[in-house]
Amino acid sequence: MITLDRVTKSYMTLNGRVFVFRDLSFALPDGANIGLIGRNGAGKSTLMRLLSAVELPDNGKISTNGRLSWPVGLKGGMQKNLTGRDNVKFVCRIQGVRRAGMQEKIRYVQEFADIGDHFDLPVATYSSGMQARLAFGTSMAFDFDYYLIDEVMAVGDAVFKRKSRKVFRERLEHSKVILVSHNMKLIRKMCNIIVHLDAGRATVYENVRKGIAAYRAAGGEP
Amino acid sequence: MTSRSPTRIRSAFQIQRDVIYALLLRELSSRFGKSRGGFAWVLVEPVAHLVVPVLIFSFIRHRIVPGVEYPVFLVYGFLPFLLFKAICLQIVNGTNASQGLLSYRQVLLMDVFVAKALAHAVIQAIVFVIVLSGLGMFGFDVLPARPLELAAVLALTVFLAFGLGLVLAAVSSLVPDARRIIAIMFMPLYFVSGVIFPVTRFPDDIVRWMAINPVLHLVELSRIAAMDGYEPMKYLSIEYPVALALGSTLLGLMLYRLRFLTKVTA
Repeated sequence: MITLDRVTKSYMTLNGRVFVFRDLSFALPDGANIGLIGRNGAGKSTLMRLLSAVELPDNGKISTNGRLSWPVGLKGGMQKNLTGRDNVKFVCRIQGVRRAGMQEKIRYVQEFADIGDHFDLPVATYSSGMQARLAFGTSMAFDFDYYLIDEVMAVGDAVFKRKSRKVFRERLEHSKVILVSHNMKLIRKMCNIIVHLDAGRATVYENVRKGIAAYRAAGGEP
Repeated sequence: MTSRSPTRIRSAFQIQRDVIYALLLRELSSRFGKSRGGFAWVLVEPVAHLVVPVLIFSFIRHRIVPGVEYPVFLVYGFLPFLLFKAICLQIVNGTNASQGLLSYRQVLLMDVFVAKALAHAVIQAIVFVIVLSGLGMFGFDVLPARPLELAAVLALTVFLAFGLGLVLAAVSSLVPDARRIIAIMFMPLYFVSGVIFPVTRFPDDIVRWMAINPVLHLVELSRIAAMDGYEPMKYLSIEYPVALALGSTLLGLMLYRLRFLTKVTA
């Protein structure tokens, strides 16, 4: 269960405060894959950042009893001047995973990312494919109740794509996703609840088809 | 293969402790990792920052400070100055430098600031022990006369740097150009803080204006604590830097709370 209670989020700019949400409230039921849709600028990414607690709301409260991931496949979370191994260690430490647990995670990521000796070189020297492998592997090493996914999921070459899809499908047996996408095919395939964002308001649709229809009515692409 | 990790629920304090520890290690190891010299460079760079001017100025002007040895005078001036500068600039630039870190929900901007301040306090402390031991080997009387007082002055320095850093970070996340101006302002700070010469040699009228700069007070306080028989400037006050540290920290925390220090997003 994820609840937003009168959440207000604004950004301070030189032209004054710009509000993305004012008193936004809604609740998402448990055990559902959630699709977050809306036109560009509707606040999808802002809502995602609020859900992943990358940013905090100005006012109001976001509460959940589940564990939410960081945005999956995120490259920004990797420290360029640290090695892949040190990056994984960093994530372990902030998640409170120590010693044997940490060794297990490192082994898992090393195996999954499969980037050979590069694992012990600074991330700055990685190709974008290798970075994505490391980032995705790190996300998969930890168990979350919800994985937050912003648009792109499958990265890398065909073999890695197949491998990551397989792992991800396994993970979805006991975890859920919150997915931001403009790809309605993907949304229809993966999600059973739609949150449609439009002009700072959110509408929750338990019926995926109705949600997508509302998005199209608001001017979203077909 | 990842067994479901045991759900060990950490308290807010435990999470913050874990995060600050992780950030501290990261801050230090990303410095070690920069070059092959690794660990040595972490120290060589700031040591050089200190030793080079000490050597230069000691040779140029021998006896300009009556009653005290000039290199010792310099080192105890540099100590609070460099500490202040390192921490303050780290925090001002902290909002920018740590974008990636904030993607993790456990990591708050404040944790980054605290970790940066701690890391630089530790680095500066080690550097000064090294430089002072070096001077001691050359026969200078380097041991601080009142170590507890010196520790208090340095704690005040960290505190003031942290508070002013927060306020300046808020200003520069609002007006990005301010960051450049702040960096420029730190250059003359070196000269107006009485680090390389005693301000007692200036006319009173000028010193009165120079006393607006809180770092000058810290520099003087550090010397009083460290050296016997040091003659400080006329307008020296403890209350001023203490009040400024309290005020700026309060204002900085308030701005932080009001989300003025945004994690700038693309």
